[in-house]
Amino acid sequence: MLNKPKEGGSGQKSHHIIQVKENIIQKFWFICAFFAVIAIAFILFFLINEAYPAFYTIGPLKLITGTTWDPTRVPPEYGMLPLIVGTILVTLGAMIFAIPLSLASALYISILAPYRVKLIVKPIIELLAGIPSVIYGFIGLILLTTWIMVAFNLPTGETWLAGSIILGIMAIPTITSVAEDAISAVPREYNEGSLGLGATKWQTISRVIIPSALSGITAAIILGLGRAVGETMAVLMVTGNAAVIPDPIWNIFSPIRTLTGTLGIEMGEVAVGSLHYNALFAVAVVLLVITLIVNILATFILDKVKAKQCGTKNCSIVYKERRKIPGKNVRLLFSRISYRYILILFISIFAFFINGLYTALFIVFLLFLLNFIIQKTSQKNIQKIIFVLIYCAILFVIFILGIILFDIFANGIPYISWEFLTGIPTDLGRAGGIFPAIVGTLYLVSGAILISLPIGIGAAIYLIEYTREGKITKFIRVGSDLLNGTPSIVFGLFGFAFLVLYLNFGVSLIAGQITLALMVLPTIIRTTEESLKSVPVSFREGSLALGATKWQTIRKVVLPPAIPGIITGTILSLGRAAGETAPIMFTAVVFTQRNLPNSLFSPVMALPYHLFILSTNVPGAQGQKYGTAVVLLVLVIFIYALAIIIRNHYHKTQKW
Amino acid sequence: MVTMTENVEILQIKNLNLWYGETQALKNINMTFIDRQVTALIGPSGCGKSTLLRCLNRMNDIVNECRVDGTIDFNGKDILHNNTDPVEIRRKIGMVFQKPNPFPKTIFENVAYGPRVHGINERKELERIVEESLKHAALWDEVKDRLSESAMGLSGGQQQRLCIARTLAVEPEVILMDEPCSALDPIATSKIENLIDVLKQDYCVIIVTHNMQQASRVSDSTAFMYLGDLIEFAPTRQIFENPKQELTENYITGRFG
Repeated sequence: MLNKPKEGGSGQKSHHIIQVKENIIQKFWFICAFFAVIAIAFILFFLINEAYPAFYTIGPLKLITGTTWDPTRVPPEYGMLPLIVGTILVTLGAMIFAIPLSLASALYISILAPYRVKLIVKPIIELLAGIPSVIYGFIGLILLTTWIMVAFNLPTGETWLAGSIILGIMAIPTITSVAEDAISAVPREYNEGSLGLGATKWQTISRVIIPSALSGITAAIILGLGRAVGETMAVLMVTGNAAVIPDPIWNIFSPIRTLTGTLGIEMGEVAVGSLHYNALFAVAVVLLVITLIVNILATFILDKVKAKQCGTKNCSIVYKERRKIPGKNVRLLFSRISYRYILILFISIFAFFINGLYTALFIVFLLFLLNFIIQKTSQKNIQKIIFVLIYCAILFVIFILGIILFDIFANGIPYISWEFLTGIPTDLGRAGGIFPAIVGTLYLVSGAILISLPIGIGAAIYLIEYTREGKITKFIRVGSDLLNGTPSIVFGLFGFAFLVLYLNFGVSLIAGQITLALMVLPTIIRTTEESLKSVPVSFREGSLALGATKWQTIRKVVLPPAIPGIITGTILSLGRAAGETAPIMFTAVVFTQRNLPNSLFSPVMALPYHLFILSTNVPGAQGQKYGTAVVLLVLVIFIYALAIIIRNHYHKTQKW
Repeated sequence: MVTMTENVEILQIKNLNLWYGETQALKNINMTFIDRQVTALIGPSGCGKSTLLRCLNRMNDIVNECRVDGTIDFNGKDILHNNTDPVEIRRKIGMVFQKPNPFPKTIFENVAYGPRVHGINERKELERIVEESLKHAALWDEVKDRLSESAMGLSGGQQQRLCIARTLAVEPEVILMDEPCSALDPIATSKIENLIDVLKQDYCVIIVTHNMQQASRVSDSTAFMYLGDLIEFAPTRQIFENPKQELTENYITGRFG
């Protein structure tokens, strides 16, 4: 019956048991994967449900295109345009700052750095990712805004520029580490093949390695973009938060207010059920739509890149048609050099609109000069120049990290004492210790990881190992991507509306844990998926051909080599969960909480929130601020160091 | 009749030693390669034949902890010298790898890649080079109608011939082949072997192979290596019919390996 004629009944029975077990395991992973979709549906439903009255009362057009946002005016005005423009501008600025630095760092780490240097630099960049956003905001408020104020002689440094720089710094590690993974994943054979043909290192990088890793690099940039759009605390602390559209539009010294900032500032003080409350949920919906557009765009780009790489049928048709066209001029239009001229044209038009004819002419002259120099420079010198630029970029990134760490530790360590670590805050945090905040953060993070890790890994295993691409997988993947692009403050809002109010948990530890778990879930799913995908199919085939079951294959052959990648994903999640303020500020924390939580349903204090309140709402707590920042940083560094050590250990023992 | 004038010595290895970390992989190698001849490197796994091959175009540069001394003279230049540009060397000494490694680009772009990185951008010229190289590599008839399709869709043997075409497009003087047939079936293998026969009219070909029959079929001279030492280097017929060293005889008669 079962193609095992020689085996007796007991053999068939055990075979049957194995099959049942396999089925149960598969069902379990399916449930995990489906959870991501349910979570998305719930979040969407609650946000739209709460936002609907605002759209209904004010009218969708007026709500979105209105140019004044002033809830305190009589009658209050809810026009979101300045917030939307603010979000777009601040993100754009951040990307201009972050993309070159990140890609240079990724190239350096994955290709140029000697092995030993790489072992040091890679964790440093990851460390930058671990620094909580509230610390960036804190440093931005203390150092960056002051510097901008003095350097440009402004009344205040809290500007669009400050927001963009801080956001850019925050996006660097995200883009770098994902892009670095993508570049490192390019098969060594491509590198050898190209070098073997006499291409220089830079030619190999720019023509073979980067095109091969392009989808990964695009994903990296979009992840960074997502982080920048959804960032709340740091932006809120440095952009000045005036709900105005910069005048003129490129005035980088104008204060600016983002969608997320608005939620962070106003959600805590709004009356539940009022029009203002509904309008804030409408802001969240718009924020979600923007991230949705970013995501769809990303998928679109990725598909195009893939199609181009594989040289699909469409591609060959285009090529054949092109060949039929008589004359070389048309073809020349598509050659590499002419792209440069098109780019020059665009930049000059842009410059013309911004600053008039002379600037445009000057820029065109400069660009042509540059173009001329590039064409006259030998490949070897081009390589030298580019590598020097890359070295400068990576040094700059490390320099930024150095400044942040130095400032915090130099100013904060003198305030650290046993009493500070174990005491209870007094005088609104100006004196006493931060013990409840430390314990609260530990509780929140461990709870969040305990909830999200099994579900996330399970969902990824189901998506990669158990399904062929079909409607259900697509649905689940879109759901998890959506969840991934969702800004953390939106999770906070959802937690507030669903867990705190609807389920009546109140502001509580459990509400915070679930909210944080939802927030880190997509990161865990995605990184686990990526590391599972990187395990060669031949491993699976080899195991299956030996008669191993699906689950045996996954457990013994696929998961072990994928573990370092999964751990990397968990590192990023842990760091995020420990440092996030936005998702917990409405769901779990109370500033005046002086006691430890005695149940899952009591509110807690947390380090990032404590630091946020001290830096923005409590004047004169200088020492306590720095002290709290040091503790938060040390905690995060400790988590990261631990995870990096574990990962490097695996890397050493498993080479294939 | 082979006349003396045809025997141009194109590569001379002198006192070559190589270490990976602490282990010495090549021990005092001295040998000379003749232009327009096929030289085969044979020997059991780990004997250093691939390592030796990779020295000839400095591919060992990208291996961590690899240390070399000695000289390899190529047209009056020392390949191993610090001032020698490996890029320049690799342009003149092409390499075909064990596993076919086409880039994830179209067939056309794979072959055009080398000329492009060396500064040829004119479409017509590229088309000419691609066609010529593919013809030379005996692949043109199979792919001429699908040049714009991905190279990944070719069979293993076709991919390997594409990699050879890619190497030819750069117009090298020497072609190194690192077990080019070990991942191929017999038919694809015989096609590559025929190709090698044709190539030697224009190039110096140095091939590493595990397969002794292959070495005897394609090569003019054969070097037998063992544990990092060059044991014997002589015309192929002599190696296979009348080896001077006992080790060589043991190996080719299959007493170890």
